[in-house]
Amino acid sequence: MNPPVVSVLAELAGLLMKNAAPDVPPAERASDLGLSAALLGVAAEMWDRQAHILVEENRAIRGLLGEAGEDADLRLSVLKAENDRLRAALIQAQAAAEAAGDVARQDAIWAELVASTARRKLSTAPV
Amino acid sequence: MPHTLEPRLAAYIAGKLSAASDVTVTALERISGGASRETYRFVLGWTESGQARSRKLILRRDPPASLIDTERRVEFEAYRAFAGTSVPVPEMLWLEEGDGPLDHPFFVAEEIAGYQASPQMLLSGAFDAVLPKVAAAKWSILGEIAKADPAPLRQWMDAPSLDGCWQRELDHWEALIDKDQAEPLPVTRAAIRWLRANPPPPAQKLSIVHGDYRTGNFLFDPAGEIHGILDWEMSHLGDPLEDLGWSLQPVWSFGHTGKAGGLCSQEEAVAIWERASGLMADPAALHWWTLFNCVKGQGIWVGSAAAFNRGGNRAPIMIYPAWWLINAQDRAMLQLMGKL
Repeated sequence: MNPPVVSVLAELAGLLMKNAAPDVPPAERASDLGLSAALLGVAAEMWDRQAHILVEENRAIRGLLGEAGEDADLRLSVLKAENDRLRAALIQAQAAAEAAGDVARQDAIWAELVASTARRKLSTAPV
Repeated sequence: MPHTLEPRLAAYIAGKLSAASDVTVTALERISGGASRETYRFVLGWTESGQARSRKLILRRDPPASLIDTERRVEFEAYRAFAGTSVPVPEMLWLEEGDGPLDHPFFVAEEIAGYQASPQMLLSGAFDAVLPKVAAAKWSILGEIAKADPAPLRQWMDAPSLDGCWQRELDHWEALIDKDQAEPLPVTRAAIRWLRANPPPPAQKLSIVHGDYRTGNFLFDPAGEIHGILDWEMSHLGDPLEDLGWSLQPVWSFGHTGKAGGLCSQEEAVAIWERASGLMADPAALHWWTLFNCVKGQGIWVGSAAAFNRGGNRAPIMIYPAWWLINAQDRAMLQLMGKL
């Protein structure tokens, strides 16, 4: 998730404190609280599955890149850093497959990209 | 408790109304949303020729850091270009480009009061009977924008060559993604490579491009009439298919899959636009511009996240588009590339 959930939750905590004060204009309070509620809903939806998504995705991309290894440290920040490294390498691999006209490899990479967006899809997403 | 901006805004406007006295600003409140500008409504009161008067107005002020970085002069002049035409826009009153009066640049405009903009409300089911009428108005007005003479805005906006429109826009948004992305975006990068390898034909004409023409950026009434086209901050000169492609890009269906803007089929929307504009929407060119607009959307969403991550603007409105739309935008690209 970008921005990271941790920094968003910290920001929302401060925002809720601010809106607890009596002198916040009602329209601004309504806007802040409505959006905060929506963001908390998204965070709640992602809480349980985020680590699983990253582990599954990292495993799939390592397979495509021919890399060995598994995620040993399951902290989200560590999984995300590894995910970023692997997805950057996947971009290079896909561009190389396009340049080489390697259709089978392109298809395999597209299949993983489609799967990755399905894993990350929010229940309220428009697409 | 009065908003702290009220006396400062009243003092500014008093300086603009030479024939007025007792200028007041009251009921100033921030309107929800407004990720690229802070938007407030307020009531201006004044005395003129011995008579007390009042008018509902809008203040649009630059935030400390924005979802998109644009010139308020460009937005102001784009609105003014359509004043008195069949494209309904609020009257622009004053533009202030300095930081002195209200800390950030701003403009003041007429409030078109009494109508709704919310796409969730429009697509809730309550307005289903008038959605065809909304669709007809929406893409007819966009056709009028496409048809309009861009000459009055050349003073404020760069005019690309007809065969350079696509490259200027793609270069711009790719550079923003390069600058703002916080994580690799494989789908978006693949779409950019495809767009560069398969450029569209030159634009049929140079048009004024609204830049954010979608469901949610117009004011409608219960009868399905459109009374105002809003949010011109990304307006520029370019290929008229750019706006049509933005209006058709899948995230603006708001989950009503297969419906352009959540309103009607894409074929119907394009036919309405072609009739109103007198232009042709070549399917291959329109596909290019629709996919391009997915890349542009991604540029906006990652830019929104970047503004939050850098600390320039920590408002929740900067987070929600990124969380809600970055993955959805990738899925829209996959759809358009025939992968989903």
